Amino acid sequence: MGRKEKPEKSTVMQVDAEETDDITPPVVVVLPGEAVQLPSNVSTVVRLGPGLRQDADGVAVTKAGVLRQTAQGDKVWVEGNQRRYVPQLNESVLGVVTAKLGENYRVDIGGPHPASLGVLAFEGATKRNRPNLEIGSLVFARVSLANKDMEPELDCINPTNGKADGFGEVKGGFMFKCSLGLSRSLLDPSNPFLQHLGNICPFETAVGMNGRVWLRSDKAKQTILIMQALLESETIPYNKARAHIKKFKTELGEK
Amino acid sequence: MKSDVVSPEGFRCDGRRPNELRRFNCDMGTASGGYAGSGADGAAYVEQGNTRCLVLVFGPKEPSMRSAVLHDRATLSVEFNIASFSSGERKTKLRKDKRLLEMASIIKSTFESVILMSSFPRSEITIQIQILQFDGGSLHTAVNATTLALMNAGIPMEDYVVACSAGFGNGHPILDVNYTEEGMDVPVISLGITPRSGKVILLNLESRLHLDEFEKVVTLARDGCTQMHEILDTAVRSSAEALAR
Amino acid sequence: MSGEQFLSTSERTFVVNALREGIRVDGRGAYEFRGLSIELGGGGFGSAEVLLGKTRVLANVSAEVVRPTANSAEGFVLFNTSFSPMASPAFEAGRLTEEEVLVSRMLEKAVRRSRAIDTEGLCIVAGEKVWSIRVDIHVLDHEGNILDCACIAAISALLHFRRPDVTVEGDQVTIHPMDERNPIPLSIHHIPICISFGFFDKGERVVVDPTHLEEQVQDGDFIVVVNTHRELCTMSKAGGAGLDVARIVQCTEVAAAKAAEVTELIRGALTKSNEIKK
Repeated sequence: MGRKEKPEKSTVMQVDAEETDDITPPVVVVLPGEAVQLPSNVSTVVRLGPGLRQDADGVAVTKAGVLRQTAQGDKVWVEGNQRRYVPQLNESVLGVVTAKLGENYRVDIGGPHPASLGVLAFEGATKRNRPNLEIGSLVFARVSLANKDMEPELDCINPTNGKADGFGEVKGGFMFKCSLGLSRSLLDPSNPFLQHLGNICPFETAVGMNGRVWLRSDKAKQTILIMQALLESETIPYNKARAHIKKFKTELGEK
Repeated sequence: MKSDVVSPEGFRCDGRRPNELRRFNCDMGTASGGYAGSGADGAAYVEQGNTRCLVLVFGPKEPSMRSAVLHDRATLSVEFNIASFSSGERKTKLRKDKRLLEMASIIKSTFESVILMSSFPRSEITIQIQILQFDGGSLHTAVNATTLALMNAGIPMEDYVVACSAGFGNGHPILDVNYTEEGMDVPVISLGITPRSGKVILLNLESRLHLDEFEKVVTLARDGCTQMHEILDTAVRSSAEALAR
Repeated sequence: MSGEQFLSTSERTFVVNALREGIRVDGRGAYEFRGLSIELGGGGFGSAEVLLGKTRVLANVSAEVVRPTANSAEGFVLFNTSFSPMASPAFEAGRLTEEEVLVSRMLEKAVRRSRAIDTEGLCIVAGEKVWSIRVDIHVLDHEGNILDCACIAAISALLHFRRPDVTVEGDQVTIHPMDERNPIPLSIHHIPICISFGFFDKGERVVVDPTHLEEQVQDGDFIVVVNTHRELCTMSKAGGAGLDVARIVQCTEVAAAKAAEVTELIRGALTKSNEIKK
């Protein structure tokens, strides 16, 4: 790994939450106002994630939480655990259709403002052939516009290949609300809870980064147990996941 | 000396038997031409014994309060009034008496479930209930009068509501409790059913009744409702036939 | 409701489907109450904080000497409910919601009209001085079934309350301060407990103690107030899905059983708080 000389002042850029990955220990808790020492093994550009801000004196913390950085040290951010969702570009969210206004659906995503989802923003939708969402339907969508001065916009298409890829109306099942931290952790590929649960009993899930999780399985009882297991998993470290899920094994395994 | 609600010979203070309804009389619509001036779309007048109730229905019409508009159905507003000359001593009506608001709210909730509210989005239906003479049973009399007035106004309903009351006095369940009996500490159940399904849509009890007696009393009330249903049915049909002629 | 989040069709359907399978969304059985905790004395005599699941209600009882109406020899019991905006985004400060009016009415009927409290015993000098007992109810957190929770809080607070002792000698009325003479509990004839039922699936499924989600989905409700002597004090059903008489009778039996359980818990809390004082 080539090391470049560290310049006097690093250029920093704001980055959106989705790009953060490769979490490394140890745990450092920071509070707003604290100055942050950038990692020394850094390349020219260090990108600042949520909870950090650059000002004249350097990098300061704006939200309370745990300070994280990537293994390479090129991305730094603060991991907080709030409940109110603020839309960010490219995040996938679960929303409820509350109204149909002309060419758009109004969708509640639990954020500061309702979002709008274009009636044609689905894979293969044309004026004659398009999905007809009812008021009260659930949609799994991508935030396509998130600007602090405008109402957020959604679509149900993967921008890279134009396909639905899981986005779109979500039918049946049940949706429950959780903290943003839990929904992020459920999206983490190394999260063992979902896998252990899936081994015992099959289910489908869609996790919105807006603190909403949708579940569907054969029986309502299983859905409820899985929901309980996931909600409780928030405070359980990954290495204790197997033991935690084992408690649900007998009841979930029931036919 | 405390008098018995039901005498040893089996008579109540007004001479009725325990499971006898009071004399019923009703007048649907504006047959007498008396209410046309108020602009009411439907009206009904009911007498149950000495309790007399008049109900006027307005609507569906433009809502009076913009804020109360519902985009997919009508809003129902109910006013319940007791005339100051209605009971034994003259009482000036207390504005917004909680008790009256409560009765209005009960009637509103009851009828909201049977009126086809989604037939008239963004409009309002108003029901004005006036108790002209009060001798007990004002809730169930008002419900019956409201049913007739709504039918008279042509407001579509899934089923209509018939109501009756029953109480319990010295060992006997009694039907259609009057004011004097209410004053003798008789617990009263007011019951409203939808005749087609036979199910209970209104149930109101405000005084202590032992659980062991409950089933008897509520069953009697239900039988009373069935009787009221036949009476109302006859009244409505004859009124409709009179118009059809 | 403004401020509250819109409920999706999936959530609504799921609640009913789960009930058809015999389970509720929070894992409870149909006739199961949520965890009930009663804390007494946090604000002195006559204060109770009740937690029913996550619904939290605080009740406070106070007394003052007033003139009675006309020449009556009875005191007053007054209820005042306030739904704090912190309890739910649907509650706004100063604006009276329908639910607030309902809770206030039911408490009055359950406690006052059923004559749970001996108002004659509140008389000091007939026609001149009586005690006016005031119960303030604050709803702090709304997770469904505020009514049952508020009723438990009100009754617990009234049972816990002690008023100052009074001696009347001819024309002389002396109200003894609390530290001089032991304060006296209120004379309570019976303990009315409110049990709310929610109906789903056109009246086919019944549950007690509905959560906020269940309240939003239910087809109708039915409220029964009953005491441990198996006396029905109040019953209220208006609108919503129609019910068979048989179903209603069954509910009253369930209500009586539940009321007995809740009364035991209240008694337990009172005993505990008395022991702490010793």
